[in-house]
Amino acid sequence: MAVKVVNWLDERLGLLSIYNLVFDRKVPKVNWWFTLGSASLFLFVVQGITGVFLSVYYVPDPEKAYSSIQYIMNGVAFGWLIRGIHHWGATLMVIFVFIHMLRTFFMGAYKYPREITWVTGVVLLLATLGMGFTGYLLPWNQRAYWATTVGTAIAGTVPVVGDFILRILRGGNDLSAVTLARFFSVHIWFLPVVIVGLISVHMYLVVRLGISSEPKDEAE
Amino acid sequence: MNEEQKQAYLEDYKQEKEKGVKFYPDIIYKDLIVAFALFLLLVGLAIYVGVAAEPPADPSDSSYIPRPEWYFLFLFQLLKYFPGQIEWVGTVIIPTIAVLALLLLPFYDRSPFRHWKKRKVATAIMSIVVIGMVALTVLAAVSTPPQEEVAFATTITDKIVLGQDVYSIHCVECHGAEGEGGEIVGVEGLEGVFLKSISSQDEMYTRSDDTFFAIIDYGQPDLGMPPYGLGYGGELTRGEIDAIVNFMRYTWDDRVEIPEEAAQAGAIPELGPNEIPSYEVHIEPIVKRYCVSCHRPGKKNNNYLMRSFQETMETGDNAPNVIPGDLNSNNILMMNRQEIEAGGPMPPTRALKPELIVIFEKWVLGGAPETAEEAAALSPTEEPTAPITEETEVSP
Ligand code: HEM
Repeated sequence: MAVKVVNWLDERLGLLSIYNLVFDRKVPKVNWWFTLGSASLFLFVVQGITGVFLSVYYVPDPEKAYSSIQYIMNGVAFGWLIRGIHHWGATLMVIFVFIHMLRTFFMGAYKYPREITWVTGVVLLLATLGMGFTGYLLPWNQRAYWATTVGTAIAGTVPVVGDFILRILRGGNDLSAVTLARFFSVHIWFLPVVIVGLISVHMYLVVRLGISSEPKDEAE
Repeated sequence: MNEEQKQAYLEDYKQEKEKGVKFYPDIIYKDLIVAFALFLLLVGLAIYVGVAAEPPADPSDSSYIPRPEWYFLFLFQLLKYFPGQIEWVGTVIIPTIAVLALLLLPFYDRSPFRHWKKRKVATAIMSIVVIGMVALTVLAAVSTPPQEEVAFATTITDKIVLGQDVYSIHCVECHGAEGEGGEIVGVEGLEGVFLKSISSQDEMYTRSDDTFFAIIDYGQPDLGMPPYGLGYGGELTRGEIDAIVNFMRYTWDDRVEIPEEAAQAGAIPELGPNEIPSYEVHIEPIVKRYCVSCHRPGKKNNNYLMRSFQETMETGDNAPNVIPGDLNSNNILMMNRQEIEAGGPMPPTRALKPELIVIFEKWVLGGAPETAEEAAALSPTEEPTAPITEETEVSP
């Protein structure tokens, strides 16, 4: 019966060819450092899932944001757990993406033919930091407010266009409801879409080109 | 890399692959182990460390020391080395160079070697950069002064309790401990002004929390009430104002019920039949609620401050105002509405409830002990004696 179902599905979806292509492929034997990329991916998925749950109760409005988070912490069943995971997941994701970058750097994995994997990776690193920056404001507490005030003010020091960038970031001269709306939207739409798109390319390339082998010391 | 080197690499890689393993299960099982470990770590962090509570954003409180997320600290620190005119070197030039250097790395690093021993320059540069980032992060962390603790509450109960404290200090001198209002006595500039109650049903049913918040924040200068919000020159943070609003709503509005814990925390402890009250358990809550509003620095109070046991016993132009064992102490006489040399009846507008005066009198008579232990030591030995008499009755 099970075989029949699988066959029926395979005839239509081509599951077997996906299995052969992705799972049954040969790869060089590699060490634990090569798990950092998949760990980054896992953390991104965790952030996505917990983030979706948080968005159910979070209200991106300066009057309500703080109390909506308090409600998540005290009122919603396991809200504190979901928020705790999202909070720490953000930190871990930055760490893991960064060390993953270091691993591919120190092993020269960015060289031919994996240049594009590297380039998409760099943009992913920047996008991950962008997620951290925009997400930090959302609780609308003292820490968030003042860190973002200073963070956006830094953009204002850019010669000539600084003021313009500052106003785009803040949606005005000061932090306001507009700033929060922008950060929220970038945090839950713009950046995640960019990240999902880039991860797709990144993963396609990893499967297509194969994972690099551990560099050998040819002198030996 | 030239064509030859590319071919050589691909040939070499093909061999590595043949000597290698299958993605499923060999690679994926490692990935899953790491994912599982990470998941446990995350749940552990969420449960045992959690997310630190923070007071709500307060644009008017510029004393707050900004702290970026830790992974931006190195940038924050870097900027400190480019002050003033050259700030943009730190904010634009260095980050741009760093990002471009990373992004374009595969295109300018043309050497075919992958092992670090043959890429010593690249390895050294990246190592120095990483060590530099870590060092900057540590520097930033140790050089940022700790944030001064501000009082703030996250649960309703904590808010009500905090709100009562803040209300007692800032509002009671004019509005009274129960918000009852009346004629203001002893407040500079407002002497003799008559205030309506702010705890009446009328008031509670027709004013929203937002309205209360705005009134406290901005004040009602035309009516004589000064602004209290930091943003308007007052001294209260938004969290404190929010706490006052919660205290008012939950204590005075008969449509909402005050949480049991909050009611208990705000209540003045009752006295046992033979118990001698102590300052810390019984007197402090009374003083805090009814007296400190005026008896703190900067108010008209003949220099009598009542913020602590010490102050209550020793300060004042007519000190001592409390004489242990003497019911003719200034405090007791004034509470009983007498006009004496030291001043008029206290609190000026409205008498304390008789049961509170009784507690005060018992405290003074009992020797005005500070701590609960001292009070217990002074109390007539009821506890040891009572069971003994019982036993003597039972045993014969
Ligand atoms: C959200 C962020 C990222 C995710 C989810 C991700 C995911 C992955 C995964 C699963 C792999 C397979 C091999 C491995 O795990 O080591 C990989 C490989 C790779 N990644 Fe990433 N990555 C991310 C960010 C980056 C960054 C920031 C860089 C570099 C700037 C980068 C560069 C590379 C390169 C060059 C490879 C090929 C490595 C090889 O074949 O040995 N990635 N990535």
